[in-house]
Amino acid sequence: MTSLVDSFRTTMRGYLTYRGREGHLAFLLHRLTGLGTLLFLIIHIVDTSFVYFAPHLYAETIELYRSTPFMIGEIFLVFSVIYHGVNGVRIAVVDMWLPHKWTLTAQKNWTRWAVLITIVLWLPAAFIMFRSMLVHNFGFGG
Amino acid sequence: MTTSSQVRKVEVKPNYENVAWKWMRYSGIALIPLAWTHVLIKDIVVGVHAIDLEYVIVQWSSIGWQVFDILLLAFAFAHGMNGLRQVSFDFIHGAGARKAVSWGLFVMWLVISAMGAIAIIAAAQNHLANL
Ligand code: HEM
Repeated sequence: MTSLVDSFRTTMRGYLTYRGREGHLAFLLHRLTGLGTLLFLIIHIVDTSFVYFAPHLYAETIELYRSTPFMIGEIFLVFSVIYHGVNGVRIAVVDMWLPHKWTLTAQKNWTRWAVLITIVLWLPAAFIMFRSMLVHNFGFGG
Repeated sequence: MTTSSQVRKVEVKPNYENVAWKWMRYSGIALIPLAWTHVLIKDIVVGVHAIDLEYVIVQWSSIGWQVFDILLLAFAFAHGMNGLRQVSFDFIHGAGARKAVSWGLFVMWLVISAMGAIAIIAAAQNHLANL
């Protein structure tokens, strides 16, 4: 049991104190957004299966998703799916088709591009979802 | 051994981890159209306030959307659970413990995937039978 705690500590310390700048941050954000999306996906598969297994409960779960905290969470979920996807394509393309193009400086630039593309795609989506929240949850005129 | 600035290719018999590594990359690319289309339609265009039981049933009475949702379920959840397995190996080093965690995640994946797939297929069938 102690060895499990030790290895947890060692790995977490590595995650937090490695100083790889762009590469380090891209790795942490990729991992965080991947795990965050997975956590939601697990809940979401189960709640959607209620349509068949417990139709009378489906309305209640949807009601939860319509609440303000969940609608704010939804905006971050969409950020996660966009960033993880853009950065994931970067990883896949370099690993499988352009390994000879890998240099540290090139990857630093690609990583910055991934963040920029993410923000450009996310802002309009975030705006639409935020507006929908104001209209439905706070009575702003549609 | 030769030294060269070229990338050297070495043929290695693919093992399980090799296949899993490739799977993460190919399924990830498949998830760009699958997951992004899903999010664009449900979260941004339609929105959670317009989604209810009837909306889902109508969606699943279309064979096209049933196939789309099955593909999304298969790719996204297998990608995510294998990703979680890989992350867990950063923390769990013993061969026996890794095996146990892998099996646990596999069973969880199988059960939840089955729940999702049954709902997609059966909800529409059920509905059609009542028409
Ligand atoms: C949208 C398109 C997606 C792309 C292009 C993509 C790409 C990738 C790639 C290439 C990896 C491997 C990283 C590595 O081995 O270093 C990965 C890891 C992962 N992905 Fe995705 N993915 C996508 C969607 C998703 C979704 C929807 C989920 C949630 C279910 C998810 C969850 C994960 C998890 C948990 C990991 C492991 C994290 C890690 O190894 O640090 N991904 N993804």
